[in-house]
Amino acid sequence: MSWKDTAEPVLVRMPAVRRPEGHVPFKRKLAWTAGVLVLYFFLTNVMLFGLDIGSDSAPLGRFSSILASGQGSIMQLGIGPIVTASIVLQLLGGADLLGLDTQNNPRDQILYQGLQKLLVLVMIFLTGLPMVFAGGFLPPTSVNLFGMSLSAGATSWLIFAQIAVGGVLILYMDEIISKWGVGSGIGLFIIAGVSQQLIGGLFAHPIFGSPQGELGFFPTWFQIITGNIPIGPVLQADGLQELLIGEGQIIALLTTILIFVVVVYAESVRVEIPLSNARVKGARGRFPVKLIYASVLPMILVRALQANIQFLGRILVSQTGQNGVISLFGMELPWLGVYSISQGSPANPTGGLFYYLSPIYAPQDWMWWAYSTQDALNVLLRVGVDLTFMVIGGAIFAIFWVETTDMGPEATAQQIHNSGMQIPGFRQNVGVVEKVLERYIPQVTVIGGALVGLLAVMANMLGTVGGVSGTGLLLTVSITYKLYEEIAEEQLMEMHPMMRQMFG
Amino acid sequence: MSSSDSGGLMSSAGLVRYFDAEDSNTIRMDPRSVVAFGVLFGVLILMLNALFMLGAV
Repeated sequence: MSWKDTAEPVLVRMPAVRRPEGHVPFKRKLAWTAGVLVLYFFLTNVMLFGLDIGSDSAPLGRFSSILASGQGSIMQLGIGPIVTASIVLQLLGGADLLGLDTQNNPRDQILYQGLQKLLVLVMIFLTGLPMVFAGGFLPPTSVNLFGMSLSAGATSWLIFAQIAVGGVLILYMDEIISKWGVGSGIGLFIIAGVSQQLIGGLFAHPIFGSPQGELGFFPTWFQIITGNIPIGPVLQADGLQELLIGEGQIIALLTTILIFVVVVYAESVRVEIPLSNARVKGARGRFPVKLIYASVLPMILVRALQANIQFLGRILVSQTGQNGVISLFGMELPWLGVYSISQGSPANPTGGLFYYLSPIYAPQDWMWWAYSTQDALNVLLRVGVDLTFMVIGGAIFAIFWVETTDMGPEATAQQIHNSGMQIPGFRQNVGVVEKVLERYIPQVTVIGGALVGLLAVMANMLGTVGGVSGTGLLLTVSITYKLYEEIAEEQLMEMHPMMRQMFG
Repeated sequence: MSSSDSGGLMSSAGLVRYFDAEDSNTIRMDPRSVVAFGVLFGVLILMLNALFMLGAV
């Protein structure tokens, strides 16, 4: 008896959002999408009940924008559990341990859907519990409920219950958008978070209520030009540096624009395989193997892996550490991790394994000549580790992604064959199509994955407007592009009801 | 065969994948009730904050 039979009773009963019967008009789809988005923004602004708001801590730091999580709100977990569950599923699927045929077997499709949800629930506990109880990320405050004061432990459980409900809600909000709306909910939440930061980075001003009087790009430049922000002589090194990477943020602006341009260009880079219909003469088509289509979403998995490693380090140091040094079994282990201390609790790794494994988020993290925090050798080692991790990780997860989402040569050949198409000049045979696709898909996937990894690290090193990370920017641009394509297709179908039959 | 198998060439949704297949045992929820639950939950927490956190801060 395989695991399928054992797990089936549980997996098929996982609650799901009802599917619409028949066609949902495009306007109705937009309304669902907008409604869920508003709900998401509302929930990111509801602060957790029982949280000590005074002490601020940013556990995942810059990563939280990619995870679409609102710090200290009931959306604290964001899509984190979904991403982590996806990593597990990708790894299992990539190693072919699942044994699920999601392409042809409806039974397996149902099991896959159930397994996804079950894993997300497990991950809500696995990431939520340490966040509340171990790392000191969500400190409880004293709560007086109907004249009865709760202990710190009880309040922590209350906090955990709230973020768990938030995690489950975001899963079903994604399902609503996938079934009743346009695009995918997760994609939408990511672009919502990143765009918010991007707009903040450009226009933030105390007039608009920016916290701590931060200034965005344009207000800063206004101040520089009117002389309110002193900049050294521009023709000397100090002033120039201030303009390029300091207050002026010129490099950050250029990087942001560059990423936009590169992604939009790379979206159009593809190998096209000509197809013709076996029966209908003249019905021709092309199958595009896109360069980065499959590789941007897997990037989030690589980043999540890095963030989880850092999360582990933080928990270790806050549970066992003395003076910011991780210690196990009473022994101080500076080679594992040394952390800087801010406000009495460990903040960022400054040495040891966890320092080298921490991704680079901003120019300040590595420009040793300008911000002398570390010596050059350490910084270069860290850059090397980050680059290797992202490039190799990007390629590996892209391959797994293509395999588990049925975009690999075998699955694609099957789809092409089923639609009655063939490659002109070849026999009409699944195996033949697969052979041809095998020449392109694996190579393109690996190159795409590595390229996206490289871009993400480069963007982080040069800095981006509003501190959106390179990965966030890459994700946002490519998700938006895909959303645009999907909306265009929807509108085409609205205008010509005949098209609906063609696309199904 | 329906054309839906060929319509989605090289299309993958987000991180979570949904298929057309559904089991009769699956517990089905109306999207409206999910959204309504989300709104009520948010309002509940807001009210708890307003009622009980004033003394604490």
